[in-house]
Amino acid sequence: MAIYSVGRKRVILALLLTTVLLLTLDLRGNPVIDAAREGFTRVMRPVETATGVVTNPIERIWRGITDYDDLERENIALQEQVDRLIGTQAAAEAAVIEGRELQALYSLPSLSGIDTEVARVVGYAANNLDQVIEIDKGSASGIEVGMAVVNQAGLVGKVTQVTRTSARVMLVTDSRYTVAVKVTSAAASEVEAPDNTSPSGLSEAEVAAQATTTTTTAPTPSGPVVPGLTLPDGSPVPDTTLPGVALGPDGQPVIDPLTGRPLTAEQIAALFDALGTPTTSTTVAGGAVTEVGETATESSTTTTTTTTTTLAEVIEKEYGALEGRGRLRLPQIKFLQDSPSLSELVAGDLVETAGGSESLAPPGIPVGRVLNRADRPGSRGPLLDVELHADLARLNFVRVVLYKPLSEVEQ
Amino acid sequence: MFASFVQGPLVRVIPLGLVLLALQRTIFVEIQVGGVIIQIMMAMAAAAGVAGGSERGAIVGFTLGVMFDLAEGTPLGSTATAMTIAGAVGGLLALIAADPHWWLEAIFTALGTAAGVAMIPLLRAFIGESEPFQRQLLVVLAVVAAAAAIMSPVLVPLARWCLRMRRPEWKQPVGETS
Repeated sequence: MAIYSVGRKRVILALLLTTVLLLTLDLRGNPVIDAAREGFTRVMRPVETATGVVTNPIERIWRGITDYDDLERENIALQEQVDRLIGTQAAAEAAVIEGRELQALYSLPSLSGIDTEVARVVGYAANNLDQVIEIDKGSASGIEVGMAVVNQAGLVGKVTQVTRTSARVMLVTDSRYTVAVKVTSAAASEVEAPDNTSPSGLSEAEVAAQATTTTTTAPTPSGPVVPGLTLPDGSPVPDTTLPGVALGPDGQPVIDPLTGRPLTAEQIAALFDALGTPTTSTTVAGGAVTEVGETATESSTTTTTTTTTTLAEVIEKEYGALEGRGRLRLPQIKFLQDSPSLSELVAGDLVETAGGSESLAPPGIPVGRVLNRADRPGSRGPLLDVELHADLARLNFVRVVLYKPLSEVEQ
Repeated sequence: MFASFVQGPLVRVIPLGLVLLALQRTIFVEIQVGGVIIQIMMAMAAAAGVAGGSERGAIVGFTLGVMFDLAEGTPLGSTATAMTIAGAVGGLLALIAADPHWWLEAIFTALGTAAGVAMIPLLRAFIGESEPFQRQLLVVLAVVAAAAAIMSPVLVPLARWCLRMRRPEWKQPVGETS
């Protein structure tokens, strides 16, 4: 039987000191340790593959026993969701294409111009503290440390370690994860649960109105002009109360040169708002903005369109930092200043990455939706719990956004 | 030096560690109990302490921990420290009984494992990680310790094999026979 002695205590102390030394070297960054790590990963790979083959039947049996009921329930829910999405897919695709074309036309930043690398998730963290996954693409595919990782639903995490053929991705829920985000207001229709059960989620009247949208884009002979706003060529922006096109000074519709389709007055006004184009006179500008807003409201009440009115309703409310909080806990947004006079942060608001000159995540990646708001005393601002769009428990394929911030590109 | 290495425990611990690590990263990630990943390597370190004493337990724990850190990408030494402590605690607890029953070994293994798992967030806090202590830490400790206790009848003999040890046999003194 083992007997405790001073000699044994020395061995334990020596081992503990060695671990502290290793920890210090690793945290400061050591190429020898990095090489050892990569070498060990290579040695482990065949052992792990063989073990995976042997244990796969056991895993399947276990999953069959424990997950069968959940899978059945989820299958029914997903089928309902698929039915609903099929109906709205066409309208959404048209809106996305139109948005990209407009962004390209006016050189606005867009995610569509950034390359991505699709990778397969090959492993999860084997401890109960870290929220890390391993993917099967590495530096050979152009992946670098810090790059954002997304899936079809939204932000998943960021790359933290890269080898030649694999990389580790820290998930958004990891307590070490932080990213700059902006909170935007969600359209009312996005917050409220749908109250009809049609496959598309739209009422018959809405579907009929959408169907007639294409027919209402016919140019009208003449119309009023939006005061205070001018087109890039200096001519005034024509306005119309119809849902159709904006007319130029010659009475002809303003045509999008990329798509060949006419632009509405609301689209033009939204583009000016996004670009922050100064108007000709400050006194007139206030009236002009109000008038454009009124015109847009009037337009949306008289017709039903799918894309142009949604653009006008999204308001950037506040910027903050999204921080992960570990397993089974929702990420939170901190460093917020709530200004009820401008806009109030509420549950249901949308969250997307804010970007920035040094951020490795480009702007506009959808992250999730505000689920709860917790007010804190003093000037510390509210905390927002965020429900992520991406289901991090079931990741199979992800995309690494091969994006470098402007600060690095310039170097 | 080579002879001492070949005759020492490491020549058996490293291959066994590779297999356990592969199991940890495959089947034990999939088979979770209440959302908690069972820590078989930590349990092995504690079992080595129970079987061979605190010194050998610490050596096995250190070896397994370094392997775990290398494979998982966690800061090198963070899990190794926790597993070293798990082995040492398992060995210290085993001093209570000269020849513990299997159920006592199971309890010692469970406690050693729990000590190691509890050390991980503490170490992460030391290296500057924010909020390493999670709300469900107690649940994690309970599940991991219970799993270690269940696995100990297999792990303790396996640790004895690694350490080239045999279960002590108590013989009656010659003079007292008949």
